[in-house]
Amino acid sequence: MEFGWDDEHSGYRAELVSFLDAELPDHWHGETAILGSHANTKYSRRFAGLLAERGWLTPHWPVDFGGYDASPWMLAVLGEELWSRGEPRGPQYMNANWIGPSIMANGTPEQQARYLPPISRGDVIWCQGFSEPDAGTDLASLRTRAERDGDVYIVNGTKIWTSYGDVAEHCYLLVRTDPEAESHRGITVLLVDMPTPGLEVSTIPGVVGDHSFNELVFTDVRIPVANRLGDENEGWTVVREALSYERVGSPRWARAAFLLNETVETAMADGRAIDAVAIEAIGVAKAACEAARVLSYRVIDERARNVPPSPNGNLARVAMVQAERLVAEACLAIDAGHTLTYRSPSNYQFRKALAAGIAAGAYEVQLNLISRLHLRLPKG
Amino acid sequence: MDFLLNDDQSAVRDAMSTLLSRHAGVARLRELGGDQPTYDHELDRQLETAGFLDIAEPGSTNRLDAALVQEAISVALGTVATSSRLLIAPSLPEAIKGPVSVVAGGHRGPARFAADAVALIVIGDRDVRFVGPLPAPVEHVISRLGWPVGQLDDVPPADVMLDVDPEEVRAWARIALAIELVGAMRFATDLTVGYVTDRKQFNRSIGSFQAIQHGLAECAVAVEGARWLSLEAAHNGTPQAAAAALTHAIQATKVVFPRTHQYCGAMGFTQEFDLHLATMRVVALRAEGESLGRPGTALAHQRWAKLSS
Repeated sequence: MEFGWDDEHSGYRAELVSFLDAELPDHWHGETAILGSHANTKYSRRFAGLLAERGWLTPHWPVDFGGYDASPWMLAVLGEELWSRGEPRGPQYMNANWIGPSIMANGTPEQQARYLPPISRGDVIWCQGFSEPDAGTDLASLRTRAERDGDVYIVNGTKIWTSYGDVAEHCYLLVRTDPEAESHRGITVLLVDMPTPGLEVSTIPGVVGDHSFNELVFTDVRIPVANRLGDENEGWTVVREALSYERVGSPRWARAAFLLNETVETAMADGRAIDAVAIEAIGVAKAACEAARVLSYRVIDERARNVPPSPNGNLARVAMVQAERLVAEACLAIDAGHTLTYRSPSNYQFRKALAAGIAAGAYEVQLNLISRLHLRLPKG
Repeated sequence: MDFLLNDDQSAVRDAMSTLLSRHAGVARLRELGGDQPTYDHELDRQLETAGFLDIAEPGSTNRLDAALVQEAISVALGTVATSSRLLIAPSLPEAIKGPVSVVAGGHRGPARFAADAVALIVIGDRDVRFVGPLPAPVEHVISRLGWPVGQLDDVPPADVMLDVDPEEVRAWARIALAIELVGAMRFATDLTVGYVTDRKQFNRSIGSFQAIQHGLAECAVAVEGARWLSLEAAHNGTPQAAAAALTHAIQATKVVFPRTHQYCGAMGFTQEFDLHLATMRVVALRAEGESLGRPGTALAHQRWAKLSS
């Protein structure tokens, strides 16, 4: 057991930090640094391209697909440094981290030739068509139907809470191809081009900030069978494998720490007094970010060893949500007045903390898994 | 980065496990007095003889192995002043033999191990002083918080100022306390998980109710976060890491202490049940941690040097 960084990873971090210091423009604050905002998504097309030129957009991809088999630790350093600056890759971190690898693992040569190069160039936006009005936390109960008709699937149904659905060129879509099968079976993944006839996208105004959700309504949308990823009815296996590439999810703790820092630095620069209660809250929040970091590292260590996923990922996810919430509290304590300003760091953090316990897996589901798999408490 | 024990660390863990199974644990603590124990000189001697207390090299900045030893002692509810020996002493210019009590500058009043200590380490804002041997006997205090406590009313002025950075010593004191807190919280959480699994109400284990499962899952997150942060701090040894570890460990107590007692029901109130042997210790350790300066506030000041209220 030891917690030092080796020369390779420290060197990479130093090089990356130097690049970010030089490349992120002066306006890399406010709306642009808000993941999910249109400004952030737009900027991601330029920024991800710059990363790609240096081999840093998809370093963990196999050499055959243009990567260089970088270690999970290198990918972790990349994610940490980028989330520490508000994630200038925008939605493209999803492409690089799990949509691309899923296509590599399950796609046909034609699919790989078509979809992977734009991802590795940093010039494409994907969305994920997972949740439905009646299938959220219980994703396997999804009902969007795809019926085979010759060499196409006819898709009917509704997807909801689809981030980037309004700007994406492709959707990684989960559909039910066998309505008779039990819930986890009979699901298939389709790679959908957007826009496409019969697909209506409408934005759902939200309260979590600039990040917009969308509803995708499919009415007799014809998707070529050639766009199916993996085997028919085997989509659950495909998507579980895809999501396991990240295991612990995005390093949200790093963005929370970034916003805490922005709030503190802004208050100090403005000459505002920060009282003793707020200072203690800052320390508590900072420590929570650090705990989430080290618990996440433990999961990355497992990944680096190629051991199967464990409940350590669930522990880290819960710690991240707690850190987000404590940072929001600290920001309010520091910045009570400025919190009233939309897009101020503290206003933004409150909104992000609100979503933290829902996005990428509900907090309570993580607790269920910890009880069962880590504590081995009896089933109800 | 490597989260698994190496061969040497595994060997130490196994040897510690054998020693602690013979010389520590609940039965031993009850022999010593339970929540008002006497100092365990026998365990101290066994650990000294086996060489575990000098596992960190003097002057070393990586004291992870020492932290792992202390964690094992704390999980086994050892009643010994080893955390200062294992984690603070390597920062000091002179070797320490025998139990010491660690207090903040200007401390007057009850202090853990003060009546049994051969010396005091006094961590002030600007210096670290060594007081030893103590000129007058220190009286024991009844605290019922799981430790031998002595009343320090008159710290002798004729002490020795040590040539050492007080911030470094304070950092290691914080790490030492964080590790001790983690050990006690691990004991309390494990005991409670066992209790709620065995205890049946409404014809089912109470641990099968989601309300209790979620509460204990949050205990696990709190303890694991504090544990790994403390071990990392013991590896890196920076004041910021130390303050973060103790801050998070103290926050964890606010989850673990009330919930473990709550879920053990009325049994948790009794002396016959072992829970209090760990949880009452947590209260004392937390108080000691706060006495070194609020660690959350310290962390904020260390991270943002210009921060002022």
